[in-house]
Amino acid sequence: MTYEERVEAFKKRIKEGHKVEATDWMPDEYRARLIKFIEMHANSELMGALPERDWILRAPSLHRKLAVTAKIQDEVGHAQLLYRLVEDLGKPREKIFDDLVNGRTKFHNVFHYPTYSWGDVGIIAWLVDGAAVISQGALQRSSYAPYGRTMRRICWEEAFHLKHGEDIVLTAMMGTEKQKRLMQEALERWWEPLMMFHGPPTPPEKDKDLEWGIKTKPNEQLRQEYLSTYVRKIQEIGLKIPDPKLKYDSDKGRWTYTEPDWDKLYAIVTGNGPASKERLSFRRLSLEETAWVRRAILGERAQAA
Amino acid sequence: MHVWEVFRQEQEGEPMIHVGSVVAPDRERALEYARDIYSRRYEAYRLWLVPREEVVEVTDLDFLQPPVDRTYRMGIAYRVTVEKRRQIKEMFENLAKEVYGES
Repeated sequence: MTYEERVEAFKKRIKEGHKVEATDWMPDEYRARLIKFIEMHANSELMGALPERDWILRAPSLHRKLAVTAKIQDEVGHAQLLYRLVEDLGKPREKIFDDLVNGRTKFHNVFHYPTYSWGDVGIIAWLVDGAAVISQGALQRSSYAPYGRTMRRICWEEAFHLKHGEDIVLTAMMGTEKQKRLMQEALERWWEPLMMFHGPPTPPEKDKDLEWGIKTKPNEQLRQEYLSTYVRKIQEIGLKIPDPKLKYDSDKGRWTYTEPDWDKLYAIVTGNGPASKERLSFRRLSLEETAWVRRAILGERAQAA
Repeated sequence: MHVWEVFRQEQEGEPMIHVGSVVAPDRERALEYARDIYSRRYEAYRLWLVPREEVVEVTDLDFLQPPVDRTYRMGIAYRVTVEKRRQIKEMFENLAKEVYGES
């Protein structure tokens, strides 16, 4: 069989719903796309720990402090799971981190923004993690089985993040006017990034990750599902979504909304977001500061050998 | 650094299930990483760590599922017993009619 014939047979198997394991043969393009896609996801988990990290010391109660700390530990744990997949696909961890801190690889748009108040912590945990669970839920059926299995585990853990975030928001909405305003202002800051979260409405036939079965649902479908799940929940607690055009069109059976500026999204994920440089320089600093730990661990092994 | 495959038993008596892997320089570190990554919420009753190079993988379906009919090993192949019971019952009924006549 020629290489092209093998690729065609592989694509056919994927279309039939067969799954690929790490040790199976796979086309170079499939491997390259998996690495890029999962690495971006892993980077997002790692970078996603940073905005919330700032709030551990400012959490309003011991319970909240423990829960925020646990969430951050989960996010870093998710990054570990996903980086293992990327390593198994052939990209070494040193190269992954080097590419990340030098801006050669991406992480999700929502982690390029600063946080201003405890309101942001609640909105992030509830609505950003909510958006992530919608896309990760679809990824459970990815053609790459190790990724699908990892998504099942991650979604299970994210359930706590969502519920904790929702609890933070609900608690504030039952509180003083100032507390309610904190949540409303945070929602207004996060709505645009949330509408960008699932990416531009690329036609499914042009989305290569869909073609390879790495993703299972088109971007726009994920955004529609997100709106169907969350708009009512947001509105019924008295929060106002800052988009006058947002409404459900029952004739078309879909949500209409103000089209996000997709050029802006591109600029943000390529390192030009309001907090991109600060976050990356902090990650670079931690990488440098922890270099001695990695050296010590590897050094011990060298002595023992 | 070595890759260790991690297996987890979620409750006493349940099977060990493969949950993923960790990279670690030695056994002790591998155990710590596996605990931190695969059991943060009382999920593990027991963990097994196996060096990846010790795992023997077989995927050849000609070896695992040779094209020979093996349905005779399966309970499902013996569903005919229901029909056979019906036939035996009928046989006895007919026999009874022969011996005692129509009643």
